[in-house]
Amino acid sequence: MADMLPPALKPVSPQDWETLIDDFQYGGLRRHKWTSLSPVLLDLALSTILKRDFPLKLHLLLFLEEFSDSFFLEPIFLDRLLDSLRLVIQSPADGFHITLPLKDQFLVSTTSIFISLDIFNKFHIRYAESLVELLLIIVNRPNHGPDRQTRAVACECLRELERFYPCLLSDIAGHLWSLCQNERTHASQSYILLFTLVIHNIVALKSNVSVLNTSVPLVPFNVPQSLLAGGSSNSTNMGLNYKELRRAMAFLLESPQVLTPCGMVEFMAMITPVAISLELQPSMLKVQFFGMVSSYNPILCHVVLMLYLRFVDAFDGQESEIAHRLILMSREAQHYLVFRLLALHWLMGFNELISSGEVKKKKAMAVEMRLSFYPRVFDPLALKALKLDLLAFCSICIESLKSESALDAGKSVDKLFGDGLVSVSAFKWLPPGSTETAVAFRAFREFLIGGSSHSATDPSTIRTLLESTIFNTLQRMLVDMMLEYQRLVPVIVAFIDRLLGCQKHHWLGERLLQTFDENLIPKVKMDYKLVSCFPIFDRIAENNTIPPSRLLELLTKFMVFLVKKHGPDTGLKSWSQGSKVLGVCRTMLMHHHSSRLFCRLSRLLAFSCLYFPDLEVRDNARIYLRMLICIPGKKLRDMLNLGEQFLGISPSPHSSSFFNIQSPLTSHDLKKLRNVSSYVHLERVIPLLVRQSWSLSLSTFGVGNNKPDYLQGITDSESPGEEKDIDGSTDIQILETERIGQPQEPLRVMDSKISEILGTLRRHFSCIPDYRHMPGLKVKIFCTLRFESEPFNRVWGGVNSPASGVDGLDTLPAMYATVLNFSSSAPYGSIASYHIPFLLGEPPRNGYVSGESMPLDIVPVNSGPGEQKSFRAPVTIELEPREPTPGLLDVSIQTNSENGQIIRAQLHGISVGIEDMFLRAIAPPDTPVEAMPGYYSDLFTALWEACGTSSNTGRETFPLKGGKGIAAISGTRSVKLLEVTATSLIRATERYLAPFVVSVIGEPLVNIVKNSGIIRDVSWKDVASDSSPDASTSVSGFDGGPLHLTYFAGEDESESLVSTSKKTMGCFHILIFLPPRFHLLFQLEVCDISTLVQIRTDHWPCLAYIDDYLEALYLA
Amino acid sequence: MSGGCSIRAIWILNSLDSVVFSRRFPVVEKRWQAACKSENENASEESFSYAVYSLLPADSELASAFVERKQREGSARGFGIRVSQSSKGSDSWVDDPITRHIVGLYINKGEEGENNLLWPLILHIKGNYFVIVLPLVEPRYLKAYTRLCKRSDCGNAIGADDSLSSLLLDLPSITGYEPEVVVSASPSVGGLLDSLTGSIGISGISSRAKPVAAPVASSVPSNTAVAGAVAADAPKIGSRPLDKDALRTFISSSMPFGTPLDLSYSNIFTIKVNGFSSSDLPPPDLKQPAWKPYLYKGKQRMLFTVHETIHAAMYDRDEIPDNISVSGQINCRAELEGLPDVSFPLTGLNTAHVEGLSFHPCAQVPEHHADKQAVMFSPPLGNFVLMRYQATCSLGPPIKGFYQLSMVSEDKGAFLFKLHLMEGYKAPLTMEFCTVSMPFPRRRVVSFDGTPSIGTVSTTEHSVEWKIVTSGRGLSGRSIEATFPGTVTFAPWQTQRLSSSRSGFGIIADEDSDVETQNSNNVVNIEDFLMDKMSNDLPPADLEEPFCWQAYEYAKVSFKIVGASLSGMSIDPKAVSIYPAVKAPVDFSTQVTSGDYILWNTLGKCPSAAAEKA
Repeated sequence: MADMLPPALKPVSPQDWETLIDDFQYGGLRRHKWTSLSPVLLDLALSTILKRDFPLKLHLLLFLEEFSDSFFLEPIFLDRLLDSLRLVIQSPADGFHITLPLKDQFLVSTTSIFISLDIFNKFHIRYAESLVELLLIIVNRPNHGPDRQTRAVACECLRELERFYPCLLSDIAGHLWSLCQNERTHASQSYILLFTLVIHNIVALKSNVSVLNTSVPLVPFNVPQSLLAGGSSNSTNMGLNYKELRRAMAFLLESPQVLTPCGMVEFMAMITPVAISLELQPSMLKVQFFGMVSSYNPILCHVVLMLYLRFVDAFDGQESEIAHRLILMSREAQHYLVFRLLALHWLMGFNELISSGEVKKKKAMAVEMRLSFYPRVFDPLALKALKLDLLAFCSICIESLKSESALDAGKSVDKLFGDGLVSVSAFKWLPPGSTETAVAFRAFREFLIGGSSHSATDPSTIRTLLESTIFNTLQRMLVDMMLEYQRLVPVIVAFIDRLLGCQKHHWLGERLLQTFDENLIPKVKMDYKLVSCFPIFDRIAENNTIPPSRLLELLTKFMVFLVKKHGPDTGLKSWSQGSKVLGVCRTMLMHHHSSRLFCRLSRLLAFSCLYFPDLEVRDNARIYLRMLICIPGKKLRDMLNLGEQFLGISPSPHSSSFFNIQSPLTSHDLKKLRNVSSYVHLERVIPLLVRQSWSLSLSTFGVGNNKPDYLQGITDSESPGEEKDIDGSTDIQILETERIGQPQEPLRVMDSKISEILGTLRRHFSCIPDYRHMPGLKVKIFCTLRFESEPFNRVWGGVNSPASGVDGLDTLPAMYATVLNFSSSAPYGSIASYHIPFLLGEPPRNGYVSGESMPLDIVPVNSGPGEQKSFRAPVTIELEPREPTPGLLDVSIQTNSENGQIIRAQLHGISVGIEDMFLRAIAPPDTPVEAMPGYYSDLFTALWEACGTSSNTGRETFPLKGGKGIAAISGTRSVKLLEVTATSLIRATERYLAPFVVSVIGEPLVNIVKNSGIIRDVSWKDVASDSSPDASTSVSGFDGGPLHLTYFAGEDESESLVSTSKKTMGCFHILIFLPPRFHLLFQLEVCDISTLVQIRTDHWPCLAYIDDYLEALYLA
Repeated sequence: MSGGCSIRAIWILNSLDSVVFSRRFPVVEKRWQAACKSENENASEESFSYAVYSLLPADSELASAFVERKQREGSARGFGIRVSQSSKGSDSWVDDPITRHIVGLYINKGEEGENNLLWPLILHIKGNYFVIVLPLVEPRYLKAYTRLCKRSDCGNAIGADDSLSSLLLDLPSITGYEPEVVVSASPSVGGLLDSLTGSIGISGISSRAKPVAAPVASSVPSNTAVAGAVAADAPKIGSRPLDKDALRTFISSSMPFGTPLDLSYSNIFTIKVNGFSSSDLPPPDLKQPAWKPYLYKGKQRMLFTVHETIHAAMYDRDEIPDNISVSGQINCRAELEGLPDVSFPLTGLNTAHVEGLSFHPCAQVPEHHADKQAVMFSPPLGNFVLMRYQATCSLGPPIKGFYQLSMVSEDKGAFLFKLHLMEGYKAPLTMEFCTVSMPFPRRRVVSFDGTPSIGTVSTTEHSVEWKIVTSGRGLSGRSIEATFPGTVTFAPWQTQRLSSSRSGFGIIADEDSDVETQNSNNVVNIEDFLMDKMSNDLPPADLEEPFCWQAYEYAKVSFKIVGASLSGMSIDPKAVSIYPAVKAPVDFSTQVTSGDYILWNTLGKCPSAAAEKA
């Protein structure tokens, strides 16, 4: 059609017009494409309407009316429109081309177009005047027969104009009144409504015109000056002509019988404000209109209600009649349902209204009517729902009247509730999705929250609600319901959720959950059906106002039940139900403080991971258990978060779930990794005495031999034989046992003393494990790992949401699953890596700067390291030294930040000092405790002897534990004089070497040492008791001891000692075992001002460090 | 402006959700825009968040908004009650069943990317068509509703301010545009006319009254015939082509500017067709009412018909009393010349059984004690419903007895009827027909066995019909006893997954296989087991239904009784007076039909309600 339009204005077919109109109504692009053509279209439309045989004239008029704003932009078209209108109106109706309906519609459409275009304000006034004039001419023929409908329509047109331009017709009100009085056809309604509106506008604008005056002629019509002046500020606003207006009102109030219900609504809407302004007696209106309340027409009832709302006082005493009418209307099965619903709504709104007035009386009325609010069996569910609302309203009234009267309120509220519910009681057995269920639970909520509205000023207190009968009834009911009808559990959960989600009634939901915790959990039966209650358990678990103990106990019992019941055909069930239990546990972990759960939950999880038949459940239980133990609250909750958002936690990238397996983000950003060691610290717990800056490397000594010869001290007794043995034939084994029993040593002459020494040594060495064949002796170095939060956050992006920082801990970053790896160039064997599941960053250190200013810090300012434990992870490094030598451990860390980034970095190394190698010698396991001091004392003597230069044991070999390796002793001696007072020497010894002291000799020394009580369980020897034969062997440097001179070769040294012995207080024997199999022996000869240390060892390289060590120990 | 009724627009959508008819009223729209403007000027400080959208949507926008709501709310009507699927801002969030009838649509203006609420829209579903009417309300009500449907709390509390109830109380324009318009404007204009003219059996000019049968019919279980079919918003009346021209004319005449003047289709139709001639003179001394544009000329007479519908829930149990109610109306047709007043006394009625009366607007009802005095009315042309009433049965129930059905196996049931018909009923009461049907909407009847003591039996796929009294052999002046023992066999039960997937209220049960198997182990009784199994996938009932019909076993009795009313409502023709007096014969007749006359299976579950009498 578009293409054929513009060129020549060809006649357009009706179908084309229909398409065009459809396009306009459809809107959007379909309408848009016509925009440019609108003047042409309008031209075409106007001429088409006047055509004789066009069938769609009405349609076209409506089209122009609806879309006038896009057509009539030029005044010229208004002229054309008016001309066309006149033409149509003046043509006689032939019932075919010019029909009465066409005339009517043309009038209406033109008026509508004029109003839409705001003809008074946007165009020349003559357009409006000529339209009004035309209408008035039509109207001014009262009782004329054939055109009565057209006259009615013209009245309506005038009414619309008067509505938009108030007081447009006020000057001719007198004429209108007389027309109104004269008209007797059915069109009189339109005359009356028109006149009523004119009166209404006169009153509303307080215009001082006479409604009796007919001096202004009806035609020609002139727009009143007041309207042209543009507004209310004109001189005519002097005041109303009350007398005349009351007369007009009296006339109008007599006419309602002729009005249709629709007309009545319009009439009432206009008459009510007039009556108020003129201060008419409300009873006049009441007498005239109250009867309409008995009509079955809903709109008439509503009109009465509106009247009531305006004149509440005049209708006093009739509330119950109105209420009864409304109830009746709701019962009329003939009505459409929506009216029946509306009637109940009005009643409710009406109740709300009146209860704000005379409270007590009106409430009593509602209570009185309560029986008529009972739902009936055939009432549609929608109606039942609203009737239950009304019953809830009654229950509120009863509750509030309870205090004032002797009414047995409790009983009747319960009865009301119970009786009301009968109508939807099928919800108990219908599927949970049934409409009955929805209606019933809706009623529960209405009854429950009662009158407690959501406004902040609501006076009802929590107490009154909690004490209300209905609350108690409902609590019981819900518990019973869950026990009896498990399928309703999800519905109840939704119900609770709705309360929980509401700010005002959150506590109600919580309270219900508490009730369930107290009353439901003890009553549930332990069987497979229990799982249907899990949704509610989940809510209980979520709520941290409820102590979790009861639920945990139940779940534990249930787990036991599942384990017990497990059989071949319950595999899947065990899995599914077990997983659900763990689901609830997880919810608890997320919402409670771990400390609250710890005991019971760990028991439950431990039980599950030990005994549960399903692997996956066991596995998950183990993971939860580990998490519970290792990870503190907030971090744990973040990890467990499956992705759903929780209140108050802003969506942050690091809340990524523990279970969502993310591709690990290994950071390759070197910049990030470079400085890790500056804020992640691994430190020794006990600092080294000697900050070892060097280490003796002996590998260069053995030229052509990569093993230092002292290491060859250990050799396999018979390596070839060993290799043969691999065949494992029996006779060889016999041979071997033989060999172990009687080592094939060259027979040698030795005295009893030496053989005793050898015996002691053999016994000792047989306790030393041979690290080549079995786990060697280990040296433990205790360290702590810690990291600083601030730099960590800066680099790795930590928790930076201050909103969640209620708890200071929440804001600290954490490292997860940290692995520390160690390596060393020193001969320490392979060093096991160390795992730390979780570590929290240290809080910023500003506290150390200004202690007083931060009393809120969680960590007290001067707290010792123990109090900061939570930020430090203990790390134990276990070395299995092949050689007792200091060294440096390289440390590398691999860990995960919260946002899933993997951090791999090198930390500062850990120094290993010689003192780390110090171990107590191993005592044979069969030695009784009380014999220990003696054993060590003997061992010291034996080793001292063996390490002497002229030892007789030099060529002896001693089999190690396991019997495969043997060791030989090649001793070295050294001596050091420490210029230090005895007191400080004793103190240092007690502090650092106490475990290694095997005997204390000399009365003065013994007394001092015994008194301090640090060194215990050693052999004490004073000089007086020096009568035992073997004791003398171990003691040197005491005057009067003849025997020891026999054995000790260094007599000159003894002599020098003797020279100082005047002040000798006594001496310490110290035996230190150096793994893997070496020994370091000190004999500290303590004098007042200096101490001579005799040193013997079977591992000479260690002497290199001992010197420094002793100096650091005693002289620093 | 407050208190009036005007509409901004009306749309009719077809079952494909496209607009087939629309009409906008620019004059009303102009008022709306002015109101918006002043509202936004006056209350700028508090209401910025609920700025009122002041434009009417184009047809396409409305249609897509309607589709969107349908998807959001599950059906065209919506959930009505706040359920788990309800979203904030939607109608069901308001949690009131009336939101199935008074709905809001979000018009999405693409460019602005903003949703604008259009409310209140009165939704009426007729046949295949959705009629949507937008009345004019003050913008503050729209804001109030926006607050209601976007509230973040748990929902309305009874007696709270700003409730939907007080909103509706303030808005007669919503009442004004309820079905009154809609029925007349709806596409089945012809259907309406047919039933109007047919209601008393006289053709010609008919009244605007709706026949009593039409609305009641909608409460009859609609799905008894179709197994499992949920007739939520499904068409109940066959579709007719939309006569847009008739519709357009009707709307233009009844509400030329969007404000209705007279909604009587017959008046408008007559005026359009006949017009007025010079011979149609107005009455000389009285004003002719607007609702009576023509005066009757011809032979004068009056007809009154009492039409009663009996609803009954018969339990035959000690703990639940039977429940019988009568809703009746007096239809009238006064063929009287001029504008006479007619009156007859109400005191003659057996008012003990009548609960409440309501009248046609033409009736003048004395202010006090309407029940005790005479009713006077100035009759309109044609048929009209003079008054309506609710009543109880003054005689005993016309059909008494019990129905028992017991499942002897999963697919076989034994049943027994024992009924008394018309016990204590005397002539002229005549039962024209009586049929008992046992619907089994969810089971297919395979075979049936048994012979009744009287009458004939037939089966359909989903029901067994027992005709006790057939038309033509009316039962009058005596009572009869009828028994009917028998068995009925069904096709094996099939779980109806399809129907259960349409979960109306959305709380999806945990379909745990463990739970189900447990159930079957615990149930001892085969009936309970079957009941459990069948009730598991019952589709939820519509809020317009009284309960989930399909969940129960019952027999429905249909009958028609003529001769006298059961409530005792009657008009003495001699007591009817006409002023100014004319001699006109008065004809009076009654007709009683059954509505929901249900015999619940005595051995099964049954819905009930607490008795109102304490």
